[in-house]
Amino acid sequence: MTEDEFGFRIRQALNEGAERLDYKTTLRLEKARMGALARQRHAGPTTVRLPALQVATAGGPAETGDRRWLLGAAWVTPMLALTIGFVAIGQWQKELEITRLAALDFAVLLDNGPLETYADRGFGVLLQAERPTAR
Amino acid sequence: MATREELSEFLAGVERRAFKQAMFAVRDESHALDIVQDAMMKIAEKYGDRPAAELPLIFTRILQNATHDYFRRTKVRSTWVTLFSALGSDDDPDADPLETLEAAGDTRAESSEAAYSREQIVALIEEEVAKLPARQREAFLLRYWEDYDTAETAVAMGCSEGSVKTHCSRATHALAKALKERGISL
Repeated sequence: MTEDEFGFRIRQALNEGAERLDYKTTLRLEKARMGALARQRHAGPTTVRLPALQVATAGGPAETGDRRWLLGAAWVTPMLALTIGFVAIGQWQKELEITRLAALDFAVLLDNGPLETYADRGFGVLLQAERPTAR
Repeated sequence: MATREELSEFLAGVERRAFKQAMFAVRDESHALDIVQDAMMKIAEKYGDRPAAELPLIFTRILQNATHDYFRRTKVRSTWVTLFSALGSDDDPDADPLETLEAAGDTRAESSEAAYSREQIVALIEEEVAKLPARQREAFLLRYWEDYDTAETAVAMGCSEGSVKTHCSRATHALAKALKERGISL
């Protein structure tokens, strides 16, 4: 008997054995099959999730370079705006201070300054210090 | 892409053989059913969109992997049990569990061939098939039960065609010898 013939006879015996499975086993196999079929994967339209930045540049040339540039711009722009904001606020505060000092000087020159100004020791020292130069 | 009907038909056609193959390997009905169920779930979930013609080979591979995973889990579990039980054991922790299957089989008393009905002969053949070393059994069953050719069997087993031939030849001789010793002539 050749190996193939032997294999064929074993196959027949194994098939017989497989057909004689008890009811409980066949039922559980059937349940397993139904469970598997319920979870079958279907090839449908593939949904690809893209980052928002990539969507914005979709279709543009040299996507990789553009995206890198935009990512850099996304960092630099807010930083730049913040710096400009700080400088503007600083300038505005400086202008306010100058205006306040000018109003005070003007009031002193017109003798309209508040009484506390003349009672202030520092103001007296200032007037004493400025008198020689005024001459 | 395999339709639901094609997948159903395929699974219905293969489930009994798959169960038997798992039984030969793990020798426990409950675990064998779990393995087949896992394999069915996996092929449906992950490969349900493949062409129907590809399903047999994929399922074979999944079933083998599921069986091997079972042995790995069993090995890990038994290692922990051995560590904590403090009982002396001759088991080599590094041994491949698949290689120990042959020695794990029970030995029934031999009887003369005339005493067996066809059903008993089939049971004995299954018993002897289960006793084959794992790789020999896999090769033999794929080659002669699943009717794969040598190349397909090699792909399914992840080995060379030469190895498949060697495994099949050894399995055939071992099986023929065992059946002869038990008084069964085919």
